Amino acid sequence: MPTNPNSTLFQNYFSDFRSYDEVLKSNMSINSNWQKLLANLSEIGFKNLSNKQKEINWLMEENGVTYNVYNDPKGIQRAWDLNVVPFLIHETEWTNIEKGITQRSELLNLILKDIYGEQELIKNGILPQEIVYAHRGFLRQCDKVFYNTEKHLLIHATDVSRGPDGRMWVVNDRTQAPSGMGYALENRYSLSRIFPEAFKNINVKQSSKFFYEFNQMLINCAPQNKANPNIVILTPGPLNETYFEHAYMASFLGYPLVTGNDLVVRNGKLWMKTLKELRQIDVILKRVDDVFLDPLELREDSYLGVAGLLDIIRNKQVAIVNPIGSGVIENSGLIPFMNQICNYFFDEDLILPQIASWWCGQKKELNYVLSNLNELVVKRIDRSNRENIFFCEFLNEKELTKLREEILAAPYKFVAQAKISFSTAPNFINGALEPRKVMCRIFSIANKNKYKVMPGGLVRVAAERETLFVSNRRGGISKDFWVVTDKQETNYQSYSWDNSCRIDIADINNLPSNTAENLFWSGRYLGRALVTARYLRMVLNRMNQQHYDASATDSESLILLYKSVTNITSTFPGFSGDNSEEKLKNPLKELASLVIDETRIGSFAQTMSSFNNSYYSLRSLWSKDMWRVFDSIKKLWAKFKEEKNYSIISLTKLLDRVITRLIAFMGLIEESILVNQGLLLYFIGLQTEQAMMHVAKCRSLLVPNYDELLQYEILESFLSSHESLNIYRYSYRSYLSIENVINLVILDKEYAKSLTYQIKRIKKDLDRLPNNELETTTPCKETINKAYNIVKNLNVKSLIELDDTESVRENLDAVLAELSDLLHETSLAISDTYFNHAYQQTQLVTQSFPLP
Amino acid sequence: MTTYQLSHITSYNYEYGVTFCHNLATLKPKNFLGQTLLDYSLEISPTPAEISNKLDFFGNNITRFSIQKHHKELKVTATSKILRDYTAAPNIDENIPAKGITLTDCLSYFKQTTPELISVKQFILESILIAKITPEIKAYAEVSFKPNRSVFEATYELMHRIFTDFEFNTTATNVATPIQDVIKKKKGVCQDFAQIAIACVRSVGLPARYVSGYIETLPPPGKEKLIGSDASHAWFSVYIPNFGWVDFDPTNDQMPKNQHIVVAHGRDYYDVPPLKGVIYSTGRNKMNVEVDLRPIIS
Repeated sequence: MPTNPNSTLFQNYFSDFRSYDEVLKSNMSINSNWQKLLANLSEIGFKNLSNKQKEINWLMEENGVTYNVYNDPKGIQRAWDLNVVPFLIHETEWTNIEKGITQRSELLNLILKDIYGEQELIKNGILPQEIVYAHRGFLRQCDKVFYNTEKHLLIHATDVSRGPDGRMWVVNDRTQAPSGMGYALENRYSLSRIFPEAFKNINVKQSSKFFYEFNQMLINCAPQNKANPNIVILTPGPLNETYFEHAYMASFLGYPLVTGNDLVVRNGKLWMKTLKELRQIDVILKRVDDVFLDPLELREDSYLGVAGLLDIIRNKQVAIVNPIGSGVIENSGLIPFMNQICNYFFDEDLILPQIASWWCGQKKELNYVLSNLNELVVKRIDRSNRENIFFCEFLNEKELTKLREEILAAPYKFVAQAKISFSTAPNFINGALEPRKVMCRIFSIANKNKYKVMPGGLVRVAAERETLFVSNRRGGISKDFWVVTDKQETNYQSYSWDNSCRIDIADINNLPSNTAENLFWSGRYLGRALVTARYLRMVLNRMNQQHYDASATDSESLILLYKSVTNITSTFPGFSGDNSEEKLKNPLKELASLVIDETRIGSFAQTMSSFNNSYYSLRSLWSKDMWRVFDSIKKLWAKFKEEKNYSIISLTKLLDRVITRLIAFMGLIEESILVNQGLLLYFIGLQTEQAMMHVAKCRSLLVPNYDELLQYEILESFLSSHESLNIYRYSYRSYLSIENVINLVILDKEYAKSLTYQIKRIKKDLDRLPNNELETTTPCKETINKAYNIVKNLNVKSLIELDDTESVRENLDAVLAELSDLLHETSLAISDTYFNHAYQQTQLVTQSFPLP
Repeated sequence: MTTYQLSHITSYNYEYGVTFCHNLATLKPKNFLGQTLLDYSLEISPTPAEISNKLDFFGNNITRFSIQKHHKELKVTATSKILRDYTAAPNIDENIPAKGITLTDCLSYFKQTTPELISVKQFILESILIAKITPEIKAYAEVSFKPNRSVFEATYELMHRIFTDFEFNTTATNVATPIQDVIKKKKGVCQDFAQIAIACVRSVGLPARYVSGYIETLPPPGKEKLIGSDASHAWFSVYIPNFGWVDFDPTNDQMPKNQHIVVAHGRDYYDVPPLKGVIYSTGRNKMNVEVDLRPIIS
């Protein structure tokens, strides 16, 4: 190997920024641990590296790997950013880090037990009382709550960075609901898939054993050592910034992903509401913050938790990972005391160093902090997010004075830390390597009486070149984290373990009712979107034709069609009502609004955005192909909105493209999800919505009687919006007649787009849903049966009969009105029977306290 | 010495009914030197499917219950018989050193770390409803609290000043009105006055706690007392070193004696609401509370 194989790679690497670097030593020689990786990168070359980076970006987007950012103008779904250059640490160094992390987990576990137990640390004067009692994560409701597991702290994440002395320093602890494991997994998966060349000749430790143990840890913490515990993952929902990971872990581990509303406490136990019944839950892996977990005993304004949960945890009827209250050890106030505590419990010093910190609750320390404020970084003991960290060197006089006052008002709430320059690592950006600050998140979990550390973890990279602080909230970059060893490792990743202890998620009876509801609504929104889009497209096409043929009948039929749009989409007043003159003069404006105005109820855009919400709630069910198609719809849409060209042609083109993709998407749903996994609910929703829209269309266009020419226009429009013109011609080979149209679109028993067929299909699917234990039928099954009996016995001769004025087919109208009511009743009854969310948890007295 | 009969009835009427609810009640009076609970019963309608009792972090009696069947009305009736004899408890008037201890001495006393002081010192810190104590509140406190002045005397004066400066007004505030507003408006009810006093005491670095309970009200002269005309009451207490907690009632400008019945202690109202719960329902509900406290004439 040449002495300096990487000169091209490192051109300009240090042009304007000098700091401690992971790869380049101060004498510009290369850290030998990185040699092989750099050789692999050199071999592939810069150009190919750029391509690999693009492929990774593409894969991340395709797989829907996102990190949600609140209040982000780019929308909350932000693609996860994985850099093509990994971060690595050699096993010899790692062994010591692992020891240090294990020691820290053991220590925090004992601190946690002590805080909610005897409080010896406080009583013996080792830890000042305020550091616990003034921390908002100290939940008095959790005092003396004990667990079966030997360790109380079951998952621990530590953020570490390399300091100027070359050692890894602890920056933060995460104990409440640590995130990042799923992203770490996905990073490894994606990098090894796209860039296997990077691994050439390098032995990277694999994390499959760690996840096996993770799963075992969840099983072991079940109360009463239940052999086959039911385990769920509790998420705050799709708006949470790490929702991707919740869904990812749920499908990876094979446990249901639930929200607070899927769970209920009854008879002293925790239950999951499923389609069929309540299923008892033994273990919760929580991703909801502590204070939101129980609106009865904790924050009453929480909609994310389950009322009564804390008490059954207290009574050991359910286990929760990590325990409620563990947020108290995410506490920078502990740092100055950690070494003493370590000596108190273990009679030894901390292995991993921490940043020099001063707790302002002590007089001497407070004075030091106040007189050296400019040099320090100040934090509140219970907030470690960026918004609550003050880098004093960047504050102006006014801000410093304000901070001083805040510290003096409640000094015990603040900790100051020395500012420290952490090491950089190469990051591939715009075709070159650039040094960026990095921070590593390392995970450990309890394994009976020991802690096990995941080999590797999640590496996050500062968003800008000069930034000191690393945070995903600001949109950061991540890296795959390699622990390299000289021993042989297989790059083969296998994740298989005991499957016996799970709720069978492929059984319709076990479908969480919230998921079922989202599937049902996904079906309804998609059905509505498709019918609306096709209808609008048909009207736009008609308008376009009229430009060439401005005959009188045409414009009369157009006015009828405009009015029907308002009826079918229920976007009153629209083209009907008193002030419709204006709109009828310039119909394109109203039609464009029905396509693109997201704020308008009934518009195509609004339907799609409602679907969007259900879609994200269900992301653990969707396949990668579906992500791709859905993403392309979103892109198409964004581009259209950007161009702002709302002509007939461009609107038609947009609808054409969207419709094609919608149909592809709907096809993919059918092949991606098992019927028993909930596809049935989707079908029921889809068919119900399509049948309801179908009825509305028939009422609008087939009930009134017109003269022959106009009738022809209208029937043709109807069939083309229904995509049935060809079928009609094939079946009847004749001039369009109302009788045949009704035969085809309402009465035909075999044609998938006829009303009779749709209702029969809903009935068939509803019959497959479980009944309540005691009842033999359910109200929704009864109403759909009624509807089916009506359509089954219809007679076309009677339907086409006109009333006395010869303007309306009154029998048809009466039948359609009744069917419309029955379909609505069915939908309501489905909600009542299967999605018992009509009853949300609310407070007995709404007090709206000013909660912190 | 007085024996009281106490009843506290809370009823809720739900517009669309409730299918299911979980509740917590802090209604059972405490037992301590000077107050003996002779008899207590809690009647809940409809009958709860589950009911259990426990002591909370502050040593209060909490009853939790859940009702699992559909109901349109919830009625919770707490009935107690209490013997009150304040003379049984130590009297600060008879303890000259405690009565005279200065703010400076108190502050250095609370610098100590002893296992016994942990439960006291937590009441120096901010709490949920008494957080972000403003300079305005601190300035109000410092009119009475001086380094070399007796803490007892200062607290007594603070109580009196709140009684004089603040107007009792049942419409000016609600349970959620923050202390920063109350100090500006100088209007409110017993709960606001207690919380303002606590904020003042904590602003100078001393422990103060919230006391929830009842007070016996007397009818206008010559009239008969109406049933249910009483209400929950709240006041505060301050910890005096080498003596213990001393109660002050700023609403009535007096040191509680036999007419005050103690139910619970907390850092503020948030820790000890009489009844709270989570219901599964969509409609609105109407609440009605009736408290009746009267001496038993034997």
